[in-house]
Amino acid sequence: MYQYDTLDKEFLADRAAEFREQVGRRLAGEITEDQFKPIRLMNGLYLQLHAYMLRVAIPYGSLNPAQLRVLADIGRTYDKGYGHFTTRQNLQFHWIKLADTPDILDRLAAVDMHAIQTSGNCIRNTTADPYSGATVEEVDDPRVWSEAIRQWSSLHPEFSFLPRKFKIAITGAAKDRTAAKVHDIGLMMRRGRDGTLGFEVIVGGGLGRTPFVGPTIKEFLPANRLVSYLEAVLRVYNRHGRRDNKYKARIKILVSALGAEEFGRQVEEEWAKIGPEGDLPDTEIARIRGAFAPLAFDSLVNRSEAFETAKAADPALARFARNNLREHKRAGYTIIEISLKAIGETPGDATSDQMDVIADLAERYGQGDIRVTHEQNIVLPHVKLDDVPAVHAALAAVGLATPNVNLITDMIACPGLDYCALANARAIPIAQDIARTFADQDRAELIGELKIKISGCINACGHHHVGHIGILGVDKKGEEFYQLTLGGSGAEDAAVGSMLGPALPADRVAPAIDTLVEVYLRERQGQERFLDTFRRTGVVPFKEAVYADAN
Amino acid sequence: MPTRIKLHDGEFSLAEDPFTHVTDDEDLVRGDLIISLTRFQSEGERLLAEGRSVGVRLEPAEEVEVLAYDLPRLALVAVAFPKFNDGRAYTAARLLRERYGFKGEVRAVGDVLREQAGFMVRVGFDAFEPADGSTPEQWAHTAHRQRHVYQRAADRRPPAFAERE
Amino acid sequence: MKALTGNRLTDGEVVFWKAGAWVERFADAELFADAEAGEAAEAHAKSQQTVIVDPYLIDLIESEGLWAPVSYRERLRALGPTNHLHHGKQAEGGAAIEALQHASGAARSKGRVNLIKR
Repeated sequence: MYQYDTLDKEFLADRAAEFREQVGRRLAGEITEDQFKPIRLMNGLYLQLHAYMLRVAIPYGSLNPAQLRVLADIGRTYDKGYGHFTTRQNLQFHWIKLADTPDILDRLAAVDMHAIQTSGNCIRNTTADPYSGATVEEVDDPRVWSEAIRQWSSLHPEFSFLPRKFKIAITGAAKDRTAAKVHDIGLMMRRGRDGTLGFEVIVGGGLGRTPFVGPTIKEFLPANRLVSYLEAVLRVYNRHGRRDNKYKARIKILVSALGAEEFGRQVEEEWAKIGPEGDLPDTEIARIRGAFAPLAFDSLVNRSEAFETAKAADPALARFARNNLREHKRAGYTIIEISLKAIGETPGDATSDQMDVIADLAERYGQGDIRVTHEQNIVLPHVKLDDVPAVHAALAAVGLATPNVNLITDMIACPGLDYCALANARAIPIAQDIARTFADQDRAELIGELKIKISGCINACGHHHVGHIGILGVDKKGEEFYQLTLGGSGAEDAAVGSMLGPALPADRVAPAIDTLVEVYLRERQGQERFLDTFRRTGVVPFKEAVYADAN
Repeated sequence: MPTRIKLHDGEFSLAEDPFTHVTDDEDLVRGDLIISLTRFQSEGERLLAEGRSVGVRLEPAEEVEVLAYDLPRLALVAVAFPKFNDGRAYTAARLLRERYGFKGEVRAVGDVLREQAGFMVRVGFDAFEPADGSTPEQWAHTAHRQRHVYQRAADRRPPAFAERE
Repeated sequence: MKALTGNRLTDGEVVFWKAGAWVERFADAELFADAEAGEAAEAHAKSQQTVIVDPYLIDLIESEGLWAPVSYRERLRALGPTNHLHHGKQAEGGAAIEALQHASGAARSKGRVNLIKR
């Protein structure tokens, strides 16, 4: 993992000291709420329904055990013994006191963490492939480039007051686990014909009121030119993005208004003026890369007798292995994805005790490496197959062995109206309802990969547009209703889902999902996923079934 | 005489302001003036010929490129923040310094708050008309808060990667 | 009928106006039958910059012989999140909490719109 040096540490310490001072001024009445609000938002502190909410950045979704333990301890000391992992690889504490936040930021800074730019109209935390450095599919490790972006974007003097927030995602593999095509900038690592590293650059994707799958504006950007190119994109956006209407202020609106070609041309023009002087020196990239040096893997064969024997004896372990393990690039190792979607629980919530257990497991079995996914799960990226039974048993003991990764119950959901000041309807109880409906694991496996994504309002933090089934909470005369969309995808085959029909009342949602699944099981051919079947048949059979039921 | 906060050789101080802001519907006064881009385009030539120092007030929608030809003749550019969060002013200031090598005063006017001091100094502002009554000491404190910066900008502070070498 | 609510500055706690002070339980909130009295309290609250954030009036309806906020969102604020029933004010239980939980019928909260606009 990247190790913070004195410079990085002092940067965080200075920032935390500044916020302590600002909170002091607010509490003393020297600044008004209107003046303080943008300040606290730049430090990830929101005022939500029940309390303050602090959003802590988990840069490119990467944590070490010491950091996770501090998050656990903050949850225990300052919150109600838990934290909520978000859909952008961050962690939110929902019950924070303003007066405690300076101490919390100090605690975070002590383990190289912070809440800088987790809110506000600035460049937010970069999302990266949670399997970075572990997956066989990888072209290059996106964490190297994510760290370069973290540094470049931190308190950027020119780009801290953009028209609107700005989110970047990087995937190092053709398989996209970051929703890159629906980010403001999506970077997909490629290798050029001559073997050089580069990125396909996608700009202007996004969700919210106006969802777009972003167009590619540059097929191949040499990797060492990344920072100057980002600077050019941001400058064009900062100057020309709309500031008169916050709903039209994201870069997607600018790209769509100008057209991808014209937008790309303006970026090229600006990029040429900035020139290579705007790039990080190769020595700095090499220094960062050094910090992600390959771990010390043992030479193993790609089959563990101990693991095979344990699986044969324990169906629960076998099921967990079927659903929650992913292929590692090194023989004898595996990637374990820990689902935070226990049936009936809140998607993305982890108790402090659970976080401690994960930290211990990472230390003992996982080379001290922990990732969080934008789908609100946690990953141990480097575990020996031999150790999977022990890890599974330890996870099961604290309710973390739910064997449902990528299955219908592995939903993502925003906090919704239970917490969020912007929400129109609750999201979590809908997820809980659906999870109970599909609690039968055999059936869930029979259904296969099916991504349900739930948002409590049109801002789409729950990414409903790109759910295979998307659910959007709406407020109909004060009652919670839910709009279903089908056929979206946030992966490499990104697509915005299309609306199924009139919104349904809360208690009709889980039965409607059940109906959709029944139609799929009836219609599917061969190994088709729900999404594939939907794309082949279109909406008609699904719509007929749901609204026939509803009548 | 009115004052503004001036940054010179790394020091913030309250300095007398020889310039008078004149809006488009006001009559011109004697001495050094800060006028709108529109007014500069119609009357700038004459004012400069009179031997006055002239500054142009640039609004966010006005592109700094328009001034490229006239910059050597301008004493200052006042970059306007109609609201503190209108970030276009940061790009304007940075381009003035980095791309056009403007050596005159780049002044922040409008909704100018001391919380923004660090960013403003980094993009090349060297004069400030604070809207929040803040003092040069407060500006110095905020601007020097971060011991390190991560990116190149107009202030020529060495970024972290250069410090590390 | 109306009540005046906001979040306390120091800790974000949902609080309600009662005769010039702020109380944590909705059941203890002062009820305004008179629009002018409510607006006067709101104006006073808005001047308490170091005490309260974004105070606003909410509409109430009758529920089980007691009063409850009309809007669903305001009932959630007065109760706590529905996914963790032991979190928030609802943990205390009792008749006043149950009256809030059983309240139904709703309209949009004017307060919420103001919050978003800020």
